[in-house]
Amino acid sequence: MRIKTLDLTKTYQVGSSEITALDKVNLEVGEKSFTVIVGPSGAGKSTLLNLVGLNDHPTSGKILIDNMDTSQFSAGERRKIRLSRMGFVFQTFNLLPTLSAVENVELPMALAKKSRKEQREATVRLLEMVGLGHRLAHRPKELSIGEMQRVSIARALANNPEIVIADEPTGELDSKTAKEIITLLVEISKKGKKTVVVATHDEKVIEAADIVYAIQDGKVKPEG
Amino acid sequence: MALAATLVVAVGATTMRYTTVVKEMSVLFNGQVMVTSKDAIVVQAIPIFGGMLPQNFTIKELEGIEGIERVIPVLFVVNTTFSGLGSMPVNFSMGIPVEDWQAVLGPMPLKGNSGHFPTNESGSEVVVGASMADQYNWVVGSRIVLHERELTIVGVLDTKMALLNRCIIMPLKLAQTVHNNVGNINIVAVKPAQGYSQGNLTSAIQRKVSYVKALTEEERNDVVQPIIAQIESWNVGMQTIILCMSLILVMMVTVMSVSERRRDFATLDAIGAPLHFVFSVVILETSLIGVFGALLGIGFGSLAALLIASVYTNIPLALFFPSIFEIVPPLYMVQMFAAIVLVCCLGGIVPALSAMRMRVAEVLRAEY
Repeated sequence: MRIKTLDLTKTYQVGSSEITALDKVNLEVGEKSFTVIVGPSGAGKSTLLNLVGLNDHPTSGKILIDNMDTSQFSAGERRKIRLSRMGFVFQTFNLLPTLSAVENVELPMALAKKSRKEQREATVRLLEMVGLGHRLAHRPKELSIGEMQRVSIARALANNPEIVIADEPTGELDSKTAKEIITLLVEISKKGKKTVVVATHDEKVIEAADIVYAIQDGKVKPEG
Repeated sequence: MALAATLVVAVGATTMRYTTVVKEMSVLFNGQVMVTSKDAIVVQAIPIFGGMLPQNFTIKELEGIEGIERVIPVLFVVNTTFSGLGSMPVNFSMGIPVEDWQAVLGPMPLKGNSGHFPTNESGSEVVVGASMADQYNWVVGSRIVLHERELTIVGVLDTKMALLNRCIIMPLKLAQTVHNNVGNINIVAVKPAQGYSQGNLTSAIQRKVSYVKALTEEERNDVVQPIIAQIESWNVGMQTIILCMSLILVMMVTVMSVSERRRDFATLDAIGAPLHFVFSVVILETSLIGVFGALLGIGFGSLAALLIASVYTNIPLALFFPSIFEIVPPLYMVQMFAAIVLVCCLGGIVPALSAMRMRVAEVLRAEY
């Protein structure tokens, strides 16, 4: 999946003032690349990922996915793309607390109407891949934060998406666990041949990136 | 929800039970004109208050009226006892001439097909309602004492009519003696001759016998029907109010629950869950609240209805358990179950719509 943004702008109305979170952002995410977006808190990283992940609508500008203008997509089409072609990893994991690790990972597959057998086989394989083969039946509150993020990554990969979008995936983790998660995301990109976009201010993630975009006050420039 | 369901079922079943009892009374004296004292207060076919009629004189007067095929004198007495909550009717006595049992009661079988109806007008044989027999362990051959007079039970009525279930039925002369009303009656059942309407007969009776009131079947119903209709309306109204309050309560609680889990719903949206899935998750939750609330409520409500019936009639609670489905009919239980689940589903609509609008970008932005 290739993603391109053209003069992407997002503004919010806060009281009587207008805040520009993204200002005419132009970037390109190449197929099977490991792209990192860096910047301080409040720079607009999450806003950018929400737009790229079709979870929000731009105020102006365009997002092209495989050269198709996403503004032409209906809500149902955007939902379908999010379900089957994209995977999301959140800073706060966003696992459903009442579901076990297996059920959390199975959920996107169930929504995609995959068979029970297919769901269970893929889920076990994914959880084993992220090193949680022994924690299948545990609920999020019974897992460490590192394990929760691993479940979150397994869920992002559930429907074998073309792109994984991770918003500050190491933000809540200690340095050792963060390193493990970064390694896992790099593996997903390199060995799994998937496009990975990570928003972070973690230097270690930057080191592993194919391309880095720096974002400051809503404006983006490529760093290399 | 369970509490609301308990209240609805308990009040609804109790009200329904008593209106049914009153409605059942109309079965007595079917097809006959009922004559009572002019000052009597009549509920359906039963004079619950009012004066006595001199038997021989009244019967003679009535027999002289054209268009009457048969005249049956009856003495109906409400026996009251003190249950601690005030005086409540717990049993009734009905004195009927032995040759007229069928005309008053209809084809009434006896329990276990054993025993017989009394045959001797002056004897001490009586038949009793099944509810009383169960309560006091009376069987055919048991002896009971009523107003210091020993009576022998020769049959137990096999009927579902609440009134007859609590009735001691005896020959008229015996009833008059037991209740110290020799020569007096308070009901005369008058069967019109062929070709005569009940309406014409009541006019003729009231013209000739000035101290009586004659009521056709329709008139007897007319007296009570508006009251029953009003009680039923109040019942429906109260149930509607309770269910509406429950709906609002379920809605508020679910709105709060959805609000607390907005991140979960936003995550569902982010990972591409269809809107109908999010909607159905919330509706399913409220439906489950309804199912469990209804089951608990119907259980407790039925128990409460039995308890109310027990307190009001002074009949031990245990005796009501076998007839629980008569006091709270299964159809009523099913209707209440459906209504409560429906109310919960409706209560879930607004929160479900709210859950459908949760977007991850907005929720996470609000959190940070």
